[in-house]
Amino acid sequence: MNDRNRHPDNNRHRRGPSGAGSDGLSDGRLVEVHSQIARDKEEPQEGFSLTPILIVFLFCGFGFWAGLYLTRNSGQFSASAFDLDAPKAVAEGASKVFEPDAAKGEKLFLTNCAVCHQPTGLGLTGVFPPLAGSPWVAGTDERMIKAILAGLAGEIEVKGVKYVGIMPNIGAGLKDAQIANIATYVRSAWGNNAEPVMDTKVAEVRKALAGHAPYSPAELAKEHPLEAK
Amino acid sequence: MSQDNHSARPQGRPPEGDSRLSRVEAQLRSPFLFFFVSALIWLLASSVLALISAFKLQAAAGVLDCEIFTYGRVSAAQHNLFIYGWGFNAFFAVNLWLTSQLGRFELRNAWLVTLGAVVWNLTLTYGVLRIFAGDMNSFSLLEMPRGVGPVLAVAFLLAAFWPIVAYARRPTGHSFASQWFIVGASFVFPLTYLLTQLLVLWNPASGVVQALAHSWFIQNLLLLWLGGSALASVYYFLPKVLGRNITGYYLASVAFWTFFLFAGWTGSASLLGSPIPLWVQSVGVVGAAMLLVPIIITAINFHGTLSVDGGWSRAWNSTTLRFVSFGAVAFTIAGFLNAFFSFRGYNAVVRFTSFGAGQEQLLTYAFASMVIFGAAYFILPRLTGSLWPSAKLVHLHFWATALAAVGSIAAALTVGWQSGKQLADASVPYAKVLAASSGLATASVLFAILFLVGHVAFALNAFGMILKSSAPAAESRHD
Repeated sequence: MNDRNRHPDNNRHRRGPSGAGSDGLSDGRLVEVHSQIARDKEEPQEGFSLTPILIVFLFCGFGFWAGLYLTRNSGQFSASAFDLDAPKAVAEGASKVFEPDAAKGEKLFLTNCAVCHQPTGLGLTGVFPPLAGSPWVAGTDERMIKAILAGLAGEIEVKGVKYVGIMPNIGAGLKDAQIANIATYVRSAWGNNAEPVMDTKVAEVRKALAGHAPYSPAELAKEHPLEAK
Repeated sequence: MSQDNHSARPQGRPPEGDSRLSRVEAQLRSPFLFFFVSALIWLLASSVLALISAFKLQAAAGVLDCEIFTYGRVSAAQHNLFIYGWGFNAFFAVNLWLTSQLGRFELRNAWLVTLGAVVWNLTLTYGVLRIFAGDMNSFSLLEMPRGVGPVLAVAFLLAAFWPIVAYARRPTGHSFASQWFIVGASFVFPLTYLLTQLLVLWNPASGVVQALAHSWFIQNLLLLWLGGSALASVYYFLPKVLGRNITGYYLASVAFWTFFLFAGWTGSASLLGSPIPLWVQSVGVVGAAMLLVPIIITAINFHGTLSVDGGWSRAWNSTTLRFVSFGAVAFTIAGFLNAFFSFRGYNAVVRFTSFGAGQEQLLTYAFASMVIFGAAYFILPRLTGSLWPSAKLVHLHFWATALAAVGSIAAALTVGWQSGKQLADASVPYAKVLAASSGLATASVLFAILFLVGHVAFALNAFGMILKSSAPAAESRHD
């Protein structure tokens, strides 16, 4: 409270002996300065001098850092990166999480299988057995995967009709996921109705086969007997 | 103060109305007082509501136990009244006065300004009543029903368009930093407010865009409108009262442009860790850090000016500067805190704690409101031509608000940091974290009382002065 006397708004003091409106300016240097500023009519004006080089460098450094930070912490500016760990998760996750996709399988079927088995899945009489309604592609998926991976050679009977031909080990040149998609498509098309096939299952079978020679239909049927409908 | 003005009045000027007032100020008098009285009433109302909501947190049951006074409604109403009632009205008044003074602008259409003020305050009253009725939106500071938004925007244009006119019509080619900041702030608010209303309430954007638009709005409102207006006042009152040039003033234009360039980008930093694209979050961090450029420059300008030739002690002995330099220091601290705690590591600690509330209070109260108080101590005596009735109340006002501000902000920040640390530590039971924050609730009741005391002291003084001046031929003799 002892600074009250110097207080500019302490009008009690100002009002004092001289009363309001007269000059109670003798009070402290603050009021003195105050009146001094009020006396000249100028409002604050701008002045110029050279920008210190240090500040320029500092602010350029800020800008440089900002660029670095943005490029390093923005997930390649991807709209689907939400977390700092996200870029890795996206890259690995894409190959890990597999969903059997019959649409992709159809495309692969048309380029790899339809030459023999026909796009209709009906095959060619006497040479290429049909897949539509075939008990060989239904039931367990391992039988079909083995045929695709290792190939099939010999006489095969499908729906009471005998076929003699050779199926190459076409699966050896395809990826697990591709084979799984093809098998999923075949097992769901043309009235077939069997479980989709996972890529992990294909990988498992591929590992077990380890370059097995083409199966004969009899051998394949022995390993995986045809399920009764 | 009025005496100084009196002796300063150029001799040749014809007296008009109150002989103590320049023509510029005579035109301003009634809209300014209308704004300021409204601001004061809202400040008192929000202080009372702050006290009620503090009680509610401290003892959940027992105080005003009815639906209207549930915590959610009271605290939303308090927040809106503090920002839209106190902050906006006060800066309408101060900005108008500053730009008129600096641009030698005579306000001819004072009735338009007053109309804007009336519309603004009536709409605000309606909106807050609707909040109490429970009809509110879930977005902070957009709680009022959506019909209120466009009306508020129109009222804002009526009330706050004049600084732009004053700037455009300034007689000399020179301009001063205060003018830039006020013109910028007056442009920014209506644009961001209407855009956010559109994106959040009228035609809600899908998903996270709403949250983004809202955080963008909050930062624009707090930093650019409240902060920019308060910076304008600091830039004016420091040299005006101290009587010297601003140190390193040539940097001020850089501060202005970088402030308006980066402040809008800081919004997404408050959404760190939420499901918005990573690069948007990082832009927010960079924005907050780059905001250090204007923070450093204003620190050089303000603290440099205050450090020369015993400036601090002179500032301490001037009521206006005591408040204004308090605000200037608070702004520097707020800027550094904001940059520091936008970084992911620190942000992860203080997220979902009281830390954010402390930061906002640092900006809206310790900076903006204290600067408004300082400006009022300078302007009101000039406009009313009378003196502050009580010096004791001035002291009470400063000490109560300064202590309450420092105390409540420090409490919110430290408790926020502590409980953030504890929340991140799985071995600390949640009950223990809660116990720490209940201490904050008790303290905030005390601080709310202290705030209320300070505001009542200020209001008594101000109302006393205004009433005295409006009474004809009261004490103020014209000699």
